[in-house]
Amino acid sequence: MGINFEEVRRLVPQRYPFLFIDKVVELEEGKRILCLKNVSGNESFFVGHFPEYAIMPGVLTLEALAQASIILFKKSFLKEETSNSVFLLASLRASFVKPVFPGDQLLLEVNVEKVVSKGAIVQGTARVGEEIVAKASLTFGLADKSSLG
Amino acid sequence: METLSTEEVEKEVTAIVAEVTELDREEIWQKREANFFKELEIDSLLALEILALIEKKFKIQIPEEKLVDITSLTGTINMTKAVLSENGRLKGEPQKA
Repeated sequence: MGINFEEVRRLVPQRYPFLFIDKVVELEEGKRILCLKNVSGNESFFVGHFPEYAIMPGVLTLEALAQASIILFKKSFLKEETSNSVFLLASLRASFVKPVFPGDQLLLEVNVEKVVSKGAIVQGTARVGEEIVAKASLTFGLADKSSLG
Repeated sequence: METLSTEEVEKEVTAIVAEVTELDREEIWQKREANFFKELEIDSLLALEILALIEKKFKIQIPEEKLVDITSLTGTINMTKAVLSENGRLKGEPQKA
């Protein structure tokens, strides 16, 4: 089952210039998601990263995996969400294998490893074509904004 | 399935907690009664990582309600022993039919 950009915008709290999912290609609720992000030469981050050599910051590839994880979690497990809830990344182990350039199509795959009602551990892989560009293990949870000080 | 001694469980769980909290094994063992969240400034979501690693290490399923027991090293060890015992995997305990 795919999800278009309008629904992605309803599910992911991030907005331009910090929304890094164009659409969901495949979703197996409770298990796995595959998202797509077309990396354009017009991305705002290329202005500064770098002025003479456009290369996508690796941390933004991880952010894209985190946003794919939010969609998977919301579609699979989240029964109730209040406007007070916010997704927070608790820990991250990542490796960057290859750089991402303008014109690349990022395929963001996330598999659930462990889930509880207020958080999850997932394994993410970002690819361009068949080649892995980054891998990460992410632990994230849903917190109440008022508890964050 | 393999049965484990109390000492093996203590050693493995201490290693897992040390890995997740990035504390030295000796240090976390010395502070085994200390509250993770209040005294050791460990994020509550790391309890989920500890739980997942214990499941993987001992090849057991731990229900979500046991997360509340992961508040100290001692609490985590006791919870692990209880789950192993329920599964007849703790040495020196009667095997369940």
